[in-house]
Amino acid sequence: MEHNGKEVLIIGGGIAGIQASLDLAEMGAKVHLVEKSPCIGGRMAQLDKTFPTNDCAICILAPKLADCARNPNITLHTLSEVTKLDGEVGDFKVNILKHARFVKEDVCINCGDCVVKCPTKVLDAFDMELRYRKAIFLYYLQGVPSVMAIDKDNCLYLNKGVCQICKKQCQKDAIDFDQQDTEYELNVGAIIVASGFDPFDPTPLTRLGYRILRNVVTSLEFERMICASGPTQGHLERPSDKKPPQRIAFIQCVGSRDIKNNPYCSSVCCMYTTKEAMLAHEHDNNVESHIFYIDLRAAGKGFQKYLKRGSTEYNIDYIKSVVAEIEEGKNGNPIVFYEDMETGQLKSMEVDLVVLATSLLPRKEMNTLAEVLGVEQDEFRFIKTAPFAPLETSKEGIFVCGCARGPMDIPNSVAEASGAAAKAAEMFMRK
Amino acid sequence: MEFEPKILGFLCNWCSYAGADLAGVSRIQYPPSLRVIRVMCSGRVDPSFVIQALKTGLDGVIVMGCHLGDCHYIDGNYEAEMKFATLQKLLEPTGLVNRIRLEWVSASEGVRFGEVIKDFTEQIRSLGPSPLRDKENSKPLIEDLNAMEDVVQNFRLRALIARERKITESGNIYERIIPIKNYQEILTEALKSEFIRSKIYLKLKSEPLSVKELSRRLALESSNVLKQVVVLRQRGKVALDRVEGVTPYYTAIGV
Amino acid sequence: MNEEVRIGIFICHCGTNIGGVIDCPELTAYATTLPNVVFAQDNLYTCSEAGLAQIKKGIEEYNLNRVIVASCSPRTHEPLFRATCQEKGVNPYLFDFVNIRDQCSWVHMHEPEKATEKAKDLIRMGVSRAYHLQSLEKNYVDINSSALIIGGGIAGITAALNLAKRGFEVIIIEKNEQLGGLLNNLNKLFPAQETASNLLKVRDEVFKHENIKIYTSTTIKAVEGFVGNFNIRISTGDEDVQLKVGVIIVATGANVFEPVGMFGYDGEKVITQFQLERLFKEGAFNANQVVMIQCVGARTEERTYCSAVCCMSALKNAKIIQELNPNAQITILHRDIYSPGTEYEKYYREAREKGICFIKYSLEKLPFVEEDSVRVFNHYIQEEVTIPSDLVVLSTPLIAYNDSKEVAQLLKVPRDEYGFFLEAHVKLRPVDFATDGIFVCGCAHWPKDVNETISQAYAAASRASTILSHKTLEVEGAVAKVNESLCVGCGVCMKLCPYDAITRSEEGLAYVRAVVCKGCGLCGASCPSQAITILHFTNDQILAQIGVVMEGK
Repeated sequence: MEHNGKEVLIIGGGIAGIQASLDLAEMGAKVHLVEKSPCIGGRMAQLDKTFPTNDCAICILAPKLADCARNPNITLHTLSEVTKLDGEVGDFKVNILKHARFVKEDVCINCGDCVVKCPTKVLDAFDMELRYRKAIFLYYLQGVPSVMAIDKDNCLYLNKGVCQICKKQCQKDAIDFDQQDTEYELNVGAIIVASGFDPFDPTPLTRLGYRILRNVVTSLEFERMICASGPTQGHLERPSDKKPPQRIAFIQCVGSRDIKNNPYCSSVCCMYTTKEAMLAHEHDNNVESHIFYIDLRAAGKGFQKYLKRGSTEYNIDYIKSVVAEIEEGKNGNPIVFYEDMETGQLKSMEVDLVVLATSLLPRKEMNTLAEVLGVEQDEFRFIKTAPFAPLETSKEGIFVCGCARGPMDIPNSVAEASGAAAKAAEMFMRK
Repeated sequence: MEFEPKILGFLCNWCSYAGADLAGVSRIQYPPSLRVIRVMCSGRVDPSFVIQALKTGLDGVIVMGCHLGDCHYIDGNYEAEMKFATLQKLLEPTGLVNRIRLEWVSASEGVRFGEVIKDFTEQIRSLGPSPLRDKENSKPLIEDLNAMEDVVQNFRLRALIARERKITESGNIYERIIPIKNYQEILTEALKSEFIRSKIYLKLKSEPLSVKELSRRLALESSNVLKQVVVLRQRGKVALDRVEGVTPYYTAIGV
Repeated sequence: MNEEVRIGIFICHCGTNIGGVIDCPELTAYATTLPNVVFAQDNLYTCSEAGLAQIKKGIEEYNLNRVIVASCSPRTHEPLFRATCQEKGVNPYLFDFVNIRDQCSWVHMHEPEKATEKAKDLIRMGVSRAYHLQSLEKNYVDINSSALIIGGGIAGITAALNLAKRGFEVIIIEKNEQLGGLLNNLNKLFPAQETASNLLKVRDEVFKHENIKIYTSTTIKAVEGFVGNFNIRISTGDEDVQLKVGVIIVATGANVFEPVGMFGYDGEKVITQFQLERLFKEGAFNANQVVMIQCVGARTEERTYCSAVCCMSALKNAKIIQELNPNAQITILHRDIYSPGTEYEKYYREAREKGICFIKYSLEKLPFVEEDSVRVFNHYIQEEVTIPSDLVVLSTPLIAYNDSKEVAQLLKVPRDEYGFFLEAHVKLRPVDFATDGIFVCGCAHWPKDVNETISQAYAAASRASTILSHKTLEVEGAVAKVNESLCVGCGVCMKLCPYDAITRSEEGLAYVRAVVCKGCGLCGASCPSQAITILHFTNDQILAQIGVVMEGK
């Protein structure tokens, strides 16, 4: 199999980027997988379970992470980003900026001694800021590469010149404060953008009470709360008093189908909310969930059955409605004020916890990336694709897959990632 | 000195072994009772392994795999479940059934892994050391276990167990689906009779015996013993040794 | 075991991770007392350059033919140590791993003596297993690098072109006379209102491409073989042709449900969306008051699924009606509107803004179609309304073709309860079958629109090419092996194997196709005659470990 000495660049180490990498590596291409965080895994690593089978996200992701790390055709570039692009299909010259990890990747054995003694606490972005990590940290427990990284914005030594406790603790001398950011060039034949999504931040929607009322959380926060490896080891505790919530309201289309914020539909929220309600019920059979929706969108394989199971076996009540406002009642209990669209009546419901099903947005760095790559974005900042050419961007040789081009679920992201690999291979891989 | 249980664990590579590793990475502490044998899939665990393990005097045996539906090999853990159910049926009459366990632990459940080991260790601790640690005084139990080992290596039984899922879900060669309940009844009946036959065979291996003597030693009704002896003869495993007066004595073949 | 077994053990301190809890020198001394151990050594970091050098030195000096490392986890480090062994001529399958960190020192940090005792037991078990390990070789199987694509619709064509452009030989077989599938009958496609026949221009490319061979009016008669080596017999109506291919892609599409007996369906005044497409194409549309009913025959007890494309089809056709007849009144009776994503939601919003009327109905109170009107209970105003209509259009789901059963049986691949093909894993392997070398895409997999079909077709091509790109396929060493003298040909293993890796040989006995076998061990644990050995996880190796656990103090 000739790949004409060409290599492929994949931007984004989530499930889409990983799938595309593995397919291309299997085809014989050399792949550069660039990921901006310290470990690959992306959003899927933050999930507890995934619909419609409710199997454990990490369990099915981990073998793929290991495959990526071990595959001789795949080079991982973590803590890295693309800063410049020149050339054209078949001969792109890409500049990669690799941020210093301050830890030697081939020496660190992830023993954790350094973390124990580090004096600095930082809100953990992976856990949606629901708990603290240290300035030297492993991005997440099953992360690959399985080595530590130092957060240079918060490290005492890197900012104030004091400490270095981690270096003293490390028996393998893996810590290196002299590491510098490096910039280097890659010559690739094709590029696949798989940069994934950011969740919508519902703070501006003050009527829903996020960050105002104590017991209103977002779906991704809820996911971390209910995850066995999350901040509360999977025990569902509501923020105000740590009591387990019995009655939960899930509000759909937060930041979706909303002319003022994002007019589009995020496709996956009806399903993921049902999943979260099911998980809550599994943890505590007394939990009753109320899902406030506009339209129930579940067209994928097994999805309708999933919703049905939710309502018959998991005590989920679906209410077609428009939610006007959420206020706080006694004991920190949120009260949901809504219009019941079946009957036209105005109603209210007091619950223990509210979960906002937030929409999927393109990553905040998407504009910069699109500019660097010279590809067009659509009106919502996703990478634009033409009708019936779903994997091609406006620039020949640059392909896109997964949530970088629009909100979608894991099966579609994986299929698109494989598809993008085929398109990339078509560019320069001939038998 | 407090009794320290020794438990053998069969852990599948993709889920439970990974969960155990995660417990380690997370520094979850649990009792040092477990001795692990790694297999690729919980479906690899042949019931005879568990019986042999109990025979050596291990206080407990635990088989751990992926959650149903999550098996790396698609449905291997369903087979593990079938085999474990067979073991439970066999061991039910002995006290040993409480010394075996089947648990599903996923690769992300480090905490749960620790909890399972803690729980099972406590369970075993309260049961006390395995009676098989004292081989001298557990001869009848050893005989029973030998017979059980025979049973789970028996062709007919193994075929019944291995076919259960297919026949109760997609149907037999006539495309007729047998309801699970009926199949289970057939299986249970087969287990019972094969167990008795194995016990008879093993007794006859050491010396030729009459039906009356066999039924006395095994504490079974002679009509039942005779029925099984007839089957064993048909299978060519038992033959007439001699006749004393009007009483036939039988011996085992293929010793 | 012909030659003398010489085991070397390397016990890792892993800094203080192991050494800080477990007494490694004591462990090393103990190891030397075990049978067949000729060399035992402890290292600070066995996985470091220095540690690996110690292993290599040990192999050379002591003529080791089994190597055990007692340290962290095989899941992370086995490949490294195996490669080290191989460098010094020790077969990688003669290497064994004992986990005394993640599953010992790290989890018994406050019980060092008991942790050390446990480690001794584990090492004793490892030594016992190592004695029974055998060298295994990886084999290679030649493969045929061509692809068979079943179905010449947009999915099949897309996959075919991608593979052909990359230089692979592709054969498309299509049961109808023409390529194009459902697209042949469609008018325009959402959301861009693209004319369907424009998309079919790729048909010409397919006919012209030198790497693609097409058989129309052709069906499959027989399939044999396995990944890389499939033998297929097809029938073109005139003759039978034998094909040899490396991979198969199922792209057989789906059919449109005909709602016979529902809502007064008569094909004239009450028609389906599919029939409406034809009316548009023929220029024969001329209604003024159109009522569309969604979810006809879908999301019901007997067919619970949502067919994904019907809402958008209805919206698209409603827009076209408005273009043809700006005075037309259109009402869409729905349960939910499925218009996900960035573009479709916008499409729906525009439809509402253009004055198309939407009324929600529920499964409990179905609309009733009368001579010139449709009655429906409008939940929002809690009243029944009567809508005048001169044409009723029913939106029906995509359903599996009846002959998908035959295709599934020929290929020995599963289908779900609705007849759609069942993939290996819903999330991570959406276009693979569990059987290696066979893939699925498009509506054969599940109802989907053209965009998604195209993506999936590329995905199937990609997955197929991960096999076709190799001249040979590697056969794992740790696979199942049948002892033919014990096998009686009962066939239990063949039905049990999740990957369909076991077939019947000419003698009627079980035969494991090693290239397909994943080494799970189900067959070995189940074989009634105990005729199957699971290499590298053999009964002997496992029983040897069981046998020595209780030997310790």
